[in-house]
Amino acid sequence: MKEVSIGKNDIFEQKPMKSPTDPIIDTFKSRESHICVKSGNLSLPQCDTPGTPGTVTQRTCVFGGARIVLMPITDALHLVHGPIGCASCTWDIRGSKSSGSKLYRHGCSSDLTEKDIIFGGERKLYDSIIDLHKLHDPGAIFVYATCVSGVIGDDIKSVCKQAEKITGCRVIPVESEGFQHHNKTKGHWIGCDALLDHVIGTSVHENPTKYDINIVGEFNVAGDLWGIRPLLSYLGLNIITAITGDSKIDDISKAHYAKLNIVQCQKSSNYLAKKMEKKYDIPSLKVNFFGISSTINSITEIVEFFDDDEMKMKAEVLITNMTKNLDEELEEYRQRLKNKTVALYAGGNKSWSLVRSFEELGMEVILSGTKNGMKEDYERIMGVVKEGTVVVDDANSDELMKLLKKYNPDLLISGAKEKYIALKLKIGFCDFNHDRISAFAGFKGFLEFAKEVDAAVSTNVWDTVKTPNFFLKNDQNCKS
Amino acid sequence: MSNFKENNMGGDSLHGKCHDKKFAVINPTRMCQPMGAVQAMMGLKNAMPLIHGSQGCATYMRFQLIRHYREPIEVASTSLSEKTVIYGGELNLLKALKNISEKQNPEIIGVMSTCLTETIGDDVNGMIKKFKDVNIGKNLPAMVSIPTPSYAGSHVEGYDKAVLSLIKHFARKMIPNNKINIILGNLSPSNLAEIKNIMKDLNVEPILLTDASENLDAPLTEETLELHKFGTSLEELRDTANSNATISVTKHNDSGAKYLEKVFGVKSISGSMPIGIKNTDAFIKSISDAMNVSIPKKIIRDRGRLSDVLVDAHAYNYRRKVAIFGDVDMVIAMARFTHEMGMIVEVLCVGTESPRFKKDLNELIDDMNHKPIVLENKDLHDFGMVLESNPVDLIIGNAYGAQIANRFNIPLFRVGFPIFDRIGAQRISFIGYNGGIKFVDAITNTIIDFYYDEEGYKFADKKLSFDTQSFETHI
Repeated sequence: MKEVSIGKNDIFEQKPMKSPTDPIIDTFKSRESHICVKSGNLSLPQCDTPGTPGTVTQRTCVFGGARIVLMPITDALHLVHGPIGCASCTWDIRGSKSSGSKLYRHGCSSDLTEKDIIFGGERKLYDSIIDLHKLHDPGAIFVYATCVSGVIGDDIKSVCKQAEKITGCRVIPVESEGFQHHNKTKGHWIGCDALLDHVIGTSVHENPTKYDINIVGEFNVAGDLWGIRPLLSYLGLNIITAITGDSKIDDISKAHYAKLNIVQCQKSSNYLAKKMEKKYDIPSLKVNFFGISSTINSITEIVEFFDDDEMKMKAEVLITNMTKNLDEELEEYRQRLKNKTVALYAGGNKSWSLVRSFEELGMEVILSGTKNGMKEDYERIMGVVKEGTVVVDDANSDELMKLLKKYNPDLLISGAKEKYIALKLKIGFCDFNHDRISAFAGFKGFLEFAKEVDAAVSTNVWDTVKTPNFFLKNDQNCKS
Repeated sequence: MSNFKENNMGGDSLHGKCHDKKFAVINPTRMCQPMGAVQAMMGLKNAMPLIHGSQGCATYMRFQLIRHYREPIEVASTSLSEKTVIYGGELNLLKALKNISEKQNPEIIGVMSTCLTETIGDDVNGMIKKFKDVNIGKNLPAMVSIPTPSYAGSHVEGYDKAVLSLIKHFARKMIPNNKINIILGNLSPSNLAEIKNIMKDLNVEPILLTDASENLDAPLTEETLELHKFGTSLEELRDTANSNATISVTKHNDSGAKYLEKVFGVKSISGSMPIGIKNTDAFIKSISDAMNVSIPKKIIRDRGRLSDVLVDAHAYNYRRKVAIFGDVDMVIAMARFTHEMGMIVEVLCVGTESPRFKKDLNELIDDMNHKPIVLENKDLHDFGMVLESNPVDLIIGNAYGAQIANRFNIPLFRVGFPIFDRIGAQRISFIGYNGGIKFVDAITNTIIDFYYDEEGYKFADKKLSFDTQSFETHI
């Protein structure tokens, strides 16, 4: 490797933390402290720092973060105020299912062009909002700021206000300029703020009950919510809305009537729950419906919160019946998956919450990492993984490849961008992000999860694709 | 009575129809310039694309490319954030160039700008020069600035600008090489491979701009995770100035060809995409003329096979109404091909506007003796609206057409970019006679699957039954 300079700017280089042992993989000096081993070199990986320029980052932008939180609201339109690319690369990618309106699957853009960059895009944005309202009469129109709309100084707030007055439709500004921060979690918060400021608390609930709850941070990817909702309904709970999976604006506007917020994706939505606690005095409970014991614990904790004898009884019946045949049905998969190893590289939440789920399948997590994790995320990971587990922050594609090669797990759990890195290394892959094809939540979802993991790890395709020695010899002959 | 529709909606009446939507784009059919440039960079050997902008630009473009090609795809980012936007992106770009030079050490780094960096006025060329100045004497990668402001044009211009920038940067006059340059556009690896096969058959050595045929349809090997080992090399880029001619099979990507003609006297030929009989004939002829080669028997037999399948399939396809959306050059060539197959080209939709598309369209209309409804600079919302009052039997376009096809309960035949809901987007073929054969087979079978029963009959009971109630009894 040759050393090159960037001149006097070199002095601005970020000073790497000293790592006392040999680096785990060959990477940039400044990146070594982002990779650690439990009970090894560092207690926690360095995290939440700006990305290393020139690497193939797996991170996205603040706009993406905001969009992901809001996109599942089914009767809303999502208008991206920027050049066409911001919308055309990100529409209909969430994988969240709807039982009603399909409006949210449209990709809308104000399509800023050169002229708008020079003279400002506010007028075009206004006209676009009027267009969309006329055509679809949506529950709300979310207007997202992008890098360029931010730089040219378009005041989307006042445009939204004006358009709202004219249309009578909720027009909600989302101030999500992509460059704002290196961590897209900031974008999640901006999305949550848009709901807090403009939707939640704006309607009256006709028949509030003392069993009203919200499921916060559940996005109904592949239909997850539909595995959770019946469990809670059976207990006698009344779900006002999920925020935001399979939700409608009108339902979210009544969310402040809830007696409890249960928080599924804590990474994106704990922020919202905390703010609702402060503003409306609604307590929140962290739950996790991925995995058997996590689902049981979540149900138990919810029931404990309500302290209701009938509900307690129902919970017992529910858990007994739902788990009765589960072990039997899982047996086949457990046999094949026993002692197989797993690497997790997904959203902050999954990097710790799935560890126990894999133990329930007899598998072991040997690597866990996130793209945008913060200190508390890594503390939670460290709390659940075994000694010797590799924990990595913001691994770029080169580092991920090197880690997968070095530790050679049987399975990688991640998203679409990481999929083919694993597959080319002949490592099983299971999507746990937007592109997954099955719902994994709840008891029934766990069975689906076991099936998907089994398909990824146990397939005989990995045997089929082995290259026979004959070809390898041939290859050497060719070279010599 | 001709194929002309009585109440056909020409361009003007259509604007009336869409009057209620003037500004917003709903479900776009185009992407931005950096995306097109990245697609062009994918066909280079030992090169690294670097997007100078927010992290999201590189990541979302990779996301789209990865789920289409089902290959790992590497695009680096300068990861700009708020501070860098205020003070300019220079430090991030310099760091990125340093990191890529030290780590991957490619032969070429292509630096794409974005809407953000163009708006804040980053001088990418100046920054590259600065980086070179402080590293004099060191063996650095070649660094090419590709200006791609996302707020202008579309991915089509992006591809064009990338090829132009690469040619401008590398092309050097040396001795004539008796090769032909071919500028391709974003075609599937199978389609690119077919272009190479045709050249082999004609005994002509091409320089493809750019050749992603191996890179984006790679075997199951770890090598795929490294810098691309296949594709157009730096030497080939340099050598483009010494070729006999440049053929642009996507007219809208011919700026590089025009530059080579102007500066080095390399003849530029902008043709139609070789899809179907007439366009492929023209493509073969222009190469045969430019390179002074005769057409071998093999090619004549391939042409004969395509003619044969057109005849075999004609009864299924005759007067089937088709609607096509996508990139300009693909749409117009595909329209001609479906016409050649006997279909009626009912609706065409492109996300951009261009005089060359209009010219091609007029030629096509003359040949078809039928005027399709044409949506220029329109989106899939407009497309769906038009299909509402102009029903068709089949849609040809990318995966985003699925929602519309579903709405009208008609099949979608997937071509173009992106296709993320089916496997094998890398291997979709329609270029040349051989690609045409595969295309006719596949599209005809789609029609048979959808419009015929399991024995291959055209649901005879419904067609042949009649209602005696309506009989006139007084005879």
